[in-house]
Amino acid sequence: MSAFQPVTPIPDHDFDIGDRVTIKRGHPPGHRRTPHYIRGKTGEIERICGVFPNPEERAYGFDGLPGRILYRVKFKQSDVWCGYAGPDTDIIEMEIFEHWLEPA
Amino acid sequence: MSQDHSHNDDHAPQTDVKEGPPGEYEILSRAMQEILEEKGLIKAEQIQKKMELYDEDYPNRGAKVVAKAWTDPEFKARLLENGNKAVAELGISMEADHLIAVENTPEVHNLIVCTLCSCYPRSLLGMPPTWYKSRNYRSRVVHEPRSVLSEFGTEISNDTTVRVHDSNADMRYVVLPMRPEGTEDWSAEQLEELLSRDHLVGVTVPVVD
Amino acid sequence: MSVTPPLPQPQKGPHDVGGEEAGEIDTIDQGMNFWQRQANALRAVAIANNIIVLDELRRTAEDLGDDYARLAYFEKTTTALRNLFVEKDIIGENELTAKMDEIRARFNVPDEMESSIKKDTTNKGSAS
Repeated sequence: MSAFQPVTPIPDHDFDIGDRVTIKRGHPPGHRRTPHYIRGKTGEIERICGVFPNPEERAYGFDGLPGRILYRVKFKQSDVWCGYAGPDTDIIEMEIFEHWLEPA
Repeated sequence: MSQDHSHNDDHAPQTDVKEGPPGEYEILSRAMQEILEEKGLIKAEQIQKKMELYDEDYPNRGAKVVAKAWTDPEFKARLLENGNKAVAELGISMEADHLIAVENTPEVHNLIVCTLCSCYPRSLLGMPPTWYKSRNYRSRVVHEPRSVLSEFGTEISNDTTVRVHDSNADMRYVVLPMRPEGTEDWSAEQLEELLSRDHLVGVTVPVVD
Repeated sequence: MSVTPPLPQPQKGPHDVGGEEAGEIDTIDQGMNFWQRQANALRAVAIANNIIVLDELRRTAEDLGDDYARLAYFEKTTTALRNLFVEKDIIGENELTAKMDEIRARFNVPDEMESSIKKDTTNKGSAS
């Protein structure tokens, strides 16, 4: 399988591919790109996308800098949804900014 | 019920026929556009050009990229490594989008959504279809993807993983479907004709009758 | 014995719909008509010209409250765009109202040749 090239250089980072992580449970007000359904769920780092300006700040006219590391996180559907109707191997993946992640 | 649309009838009818006086939202949109033009903040030509790109250019790009990936394994490897760089080889600019191509295999079927709004690889596929932007799709595809796939006439075996991608940040996704059996001798052009936008979002799979 | 207030329910925006129960999907692409395609281009050009930022536009859409579910897609995006332009003082409310009246008048005038309001609207997709 070919390696994915991150969009930007990656600085020092807390999580590597394969690390188990839990999404923070908080419900801060305002513009957030971490869907409610994934908060508090545990998955695994699938890849590191790069460093991007923080959309939570950009939404209000700030520049969102310094950028934050954006990870892709992979979850088992059966870990996300109570009574998930498909096979145990089904997966959901999404991009989560570093400040939303805690070690599992 | 099969919804396997061929490339040619992919694009829903675009009604240019005026159907009576414009509604309030149309008037609001035109008002904003005219004011911005009058202030010199945008040019009418930019709007025109953007509409042309969306109508004539963007929707044709995805099939071209996938057909090339099917016929050129080294291109496919480069596409999976760096989406933007690979499509640039075909003269396609992803503009502000960062592309990730996700490959269907016998083990994995990929499906794309943006639950929070309607993020979509517009520079590669054009405008998202109305169903993609609908609340029903956005709500359900993440927790009952197989049921949603059935509504599109697509059944994925329980031996195959369904992998849903919620494109909630800066990356945009295109599905690289499996090349159908029976197309081994086909040219890239013939393969392009076979592919539809729905295949590249993952709600249907290309097959040869 | 005192009664404590109920547990607060986490607030989530009207846009954050992943995981909710919902009905059948209309799997046919209903497409876009002319003004919707033009509205889409307006959004894209406003962003490309750095007049607005995409994240800001998402946020004004999310802030539509009950209107978010009620409005159709392009009604939503057009309202969000309007709210953002006014918030950032790029377009004034009065300016907008006046322009909308002007546009309405173009369609109400029975004899378009006589209207002094009529302008060349070749690129604006008017009914003329």
